[in-house]
Amino acid sequence: MTAMSFVYLAAILFAIGAAAVLLRRNAIVAFMGVELMLNAANLALVAFAHMYAELDGQIMAFFVLVVAAAEVVVGLAIIIALFRARQTISLDEPAELKG
Amino acid sequence: MNFVTPEIAWAPLTPILIVLGTAAVAILIEAFIKSPATRRTVQLTVTIGALLVALGFVIVQWVGLDGSAGDVVMTGKITVDAQSLAWQAMLLVFGILGALLFAARTSDGEDAFTPLGSVPPGSTKERLARRAGLKVTEVFPLLLFAVGGMMLFTCITDLIFLFVALELFSLPLYIMVALARRRRLLSQEAALKYFLLGAFSSAIYLFGAALVYGATTQIDLESIGIAIDFIPNRDGMLLAGAVMVVAGLMFKIGAAPFHSWVPDVYQGAPTPVTAFMGAATKAAATAALVRVMYLAFYPLEWELSWMFWAVAITSMIIGTLAALVQTDIKRMLAYSAVAHAGFILVAFAGLTPEALVALPFYLLTYGLATIGAFAIITQVRERAEDGGIGAEAVRLGQWAGLGKRSPFLAGAMALFLLSFAGIPLTAGFIGKFEVFSAAIAGGAWPLVLVAVIASMVAAFFYVRLIVLMFFTDAPEGADEAIAVETETLTRVVIGITAAAIVILGILPSGVLNIFESAAHLLVSAG
Amino acid sequence: MVNEVLFWTVALLTVIPSLALIFAKRPVHIAMSIVLVMVGLAAAYVGMGAPFLGMVQIVVYTGAVMMMFLFVLMLVGVDNAEDLRETIKGQKWIAFAAAGGLAILLIAVIGDATIEPRTGDVVGNPEEIAMVLFSEYVLVMEVLGFLLITAAVGALVLTHVPRLTPRRTQVELQAARVAAGADPVNKPMPGVYARHNALDVPALDPEGNPIEDSVSRVLEVRHQTQDGAEFRAQLEDTDNPDHEARPHGAPSRDSDTRNTREGEEPK
Repeated sequence: MTAMSFVYLAAILFAIGAAAVLLRRNAIVAFMGVELMLNAANLALVAFAHMYAELDGQIMAFFVLVVAAAEVVVGLAIIIALFRARQTISLDEPAELKG
Repeated sequence: MNFVTPEIAWAPLTPILIVLGTAAVAILIEAFIKSPATRRTVQLTVTIGALLVALGFVIVQWVGLDGSAGDVVMTGKITVDAQSLAWQAMLLVFGILGALLFAARTSDGEDAFTPLGSVPPGSTKERLARRAGLKVTEVFPLLLFAVGGMMLFTCITDLIFLFVALELFSLPLYIMVALARRRRLLSQEAALKYFLLGAFSSAIYLFGAALVYGATTQIDLESIGIAIDFIPNRDGMLLAGAVMVVAGLMFKIGAAPFHSWVPDVYQGAPTPVTAFMGAATKAAATAALVRVMYLAFYPLEWELSWMFWAVAITSMIIGTLAALVQTDIKRMLAYSAVAHAGFILVAFAGLTPEALVALPFYLLTYGLATIGAFAIITQVRERAEDGGIGAEAVRLGQWAGLGKRSPFLAGAMALFLLSFAGIPLTAGFIGKFEVFSAAIAGGAWPLVLVAVIASMVAAFFYVRLIVLMFFTDAPEGADEAIAVETETLTRVVIGITAAAIVILGILPSGVLNIFESAAHLLVSAG
Repeated sequence: MVNEVLFWTVALLTVIPSLALIFAKRPVHIAMSIVLVMVGLAAAYVGMGAPFLGMVQIVVYTGAVMMMFLFVLMLVGVDNAEDLRETIKGQKWIAFAAAGGLAILLIAVIGDATIEPRTGDVVGNPEEIAMVLFSEYVLVMEVLGFLLITAAVGALVLTHVPRLTPRRTQVELQAARVAAGADPVNKPMPGVYARHNALDVPALDPEGNPIEDSVSRVLEVRHQTQDGAEFRAQLEDTDNPDHEARPHGAPSRDSDTRNTREGEEPK
């Protein structure tokens, strides 16, 4: 069994994350779906790095980790600001914006 | 194990370092100057100063190039070549115009941003904050971070570094979108939508980058290009990765079907932010797409062309048809931006060298007209019930008869709309002409045919607004209901952009010559 | 080469909890499942020669990011079970089809790929990582610094509420209350009658007149007050056979006298 199986696993996790983003209307849950997608990409990077006996893939995964953390900070700040104004975080509650 | 000090040629990075460094200093200014009014003045001066100095350095560097292709700052990571310098100068100009709009205030002394972003819109606390004269002056450093990130975006040659720069200019934009003074609930919803879709698209980009790394063992653009050339049978994984990377970048350009954020964000964001974002994000993302396509994925040109064709045609059709039925002027311009994203992608057909001239010119004309048009929108206001200046008048009907009340604003708006439509003697015409000839040189004449038809249909809704402004009488009582502002900073921006559109339309050769000498991407390996 | 047991453990530990993202109703359950996924991924990293990244994954993702998610979930109310009704008809099936198609497509192209693994054993321990990080990728590190500043500033702009009104001291609060006409002393308690829950009966002043203020205003609004005349009458009426009656369950009157203690003179 090679590390390739982990790439398959990453693809499945990526698809599950994407499904959550498309399906869920709770902003926080949709956001967690995005986090799962980023982690799936990380898993793929580490698996490829292992196959190629390189460090670069791991370094890239490290950068993604930092960027994702910064993104979470901003995203949750926006969600809290919106919650203070609307008392709900559903993505299609009183839709002020029309599609 | 011994540590080898990396070789970095710092000098070509000077403009970017100035912009990002000033942004960090500006954050400290936030902490040390207590009075909001003083802080606003200082931040505006510092921001404009830094952008001008950076622009000066870009020009000095341009002159210093003297025909050479450029410098490799760090092998495989950053290359500052003539093409990148052209984009950087353009982004700095957009940044300066944007900063002027950020600082503009109505005759009641209100700028476009909320006094305090953290309290609910319409609450007692918000009223208290307004009475205390608070200001979110953090928008100026955030603008600098965004401009710095975009400038990096145009010269990076590494897929992961590109991802970091993408987030660096996206995060400030997400935040600024949520800070509108009027209709802030709309603005916060727009920010959430922009954020979620933006994060979704960057995740797609990232997985694509991982697949490309897996298929080629390389992560910098040039080596990817070379590796793809060497791979005898190109497998699906490489292609899937490339498609996902390109899709992530197309999201930032705002092309359909990745456009669903565009109308909401253009409408919800504070108008100065819309102006800056509409112009600069498209330019930065196009610059990066050029580099990715020309350096890394050029061997896949044939395989990826279906995607460019499909996305370009969808964008042009959806953008044009949806803009026809809009009654809100910001949404109309948003859908027209989607259509323009389609025109941009038309130039990528065939990956011709002509496109390297056409794309910067097109983005320059489009960006200037966008900033000018949104600047005018900030000047046409509803009257509040207490007689003060209210929200922007965004319903099309409210613009009837503007030509009589303010010939300058209506005339400039007409000029920008004609430029969007691509009528001869405006810059937009030259831009479209260049883009279409690049596509024809690439052999994509059916695509150009669709683009020409879309432009003709699009001209209808641009002209409709012009007719409304000049040849329709204002309804009874419109004079009282609509206030026309005369803010100096905004007038300066409108004046500059209008003059630029006319000059680029009549005498484009000077700028075209500059972009022609910039039409080389520095390839260090080859 | 990777350990087969490790792979299947990680696969089960990540795929099953991550399905909560699609099917679970309560956001807190979803967040806890994702924590489990992150731990599983950390195990995979350690197993693939990336111990440093595995540790960072635990510290950053389970320790910081997911806890932040939980904080925000607590803040917005944990009981908000999501409404799973559809606003756009068929959205669910479109989403499933899109995600399923994506998964099948990705698995197909990955299975199609021909990758020749290189031999060699690279282990990403902190020392090795640092060497690459600060030589080849040092520019990216520096740009990340700007990214973190942006994130911090953004979070403050959107959530930090400064003090908008001056802080009031106890003395100022008290003075303001008195100035507004509040009674400087406690209000009298409501009337007390041992055989009745007397919160609804006004107390009597020394002259025997009821003090209306002693009854809660809420009861007045609801018209649930009584003037107490009935109970006063019972007390004063010596013909009432219950006059001397003890409350139900109370000890007899004899028990009122207490027993003499040892060494005490009996009364």
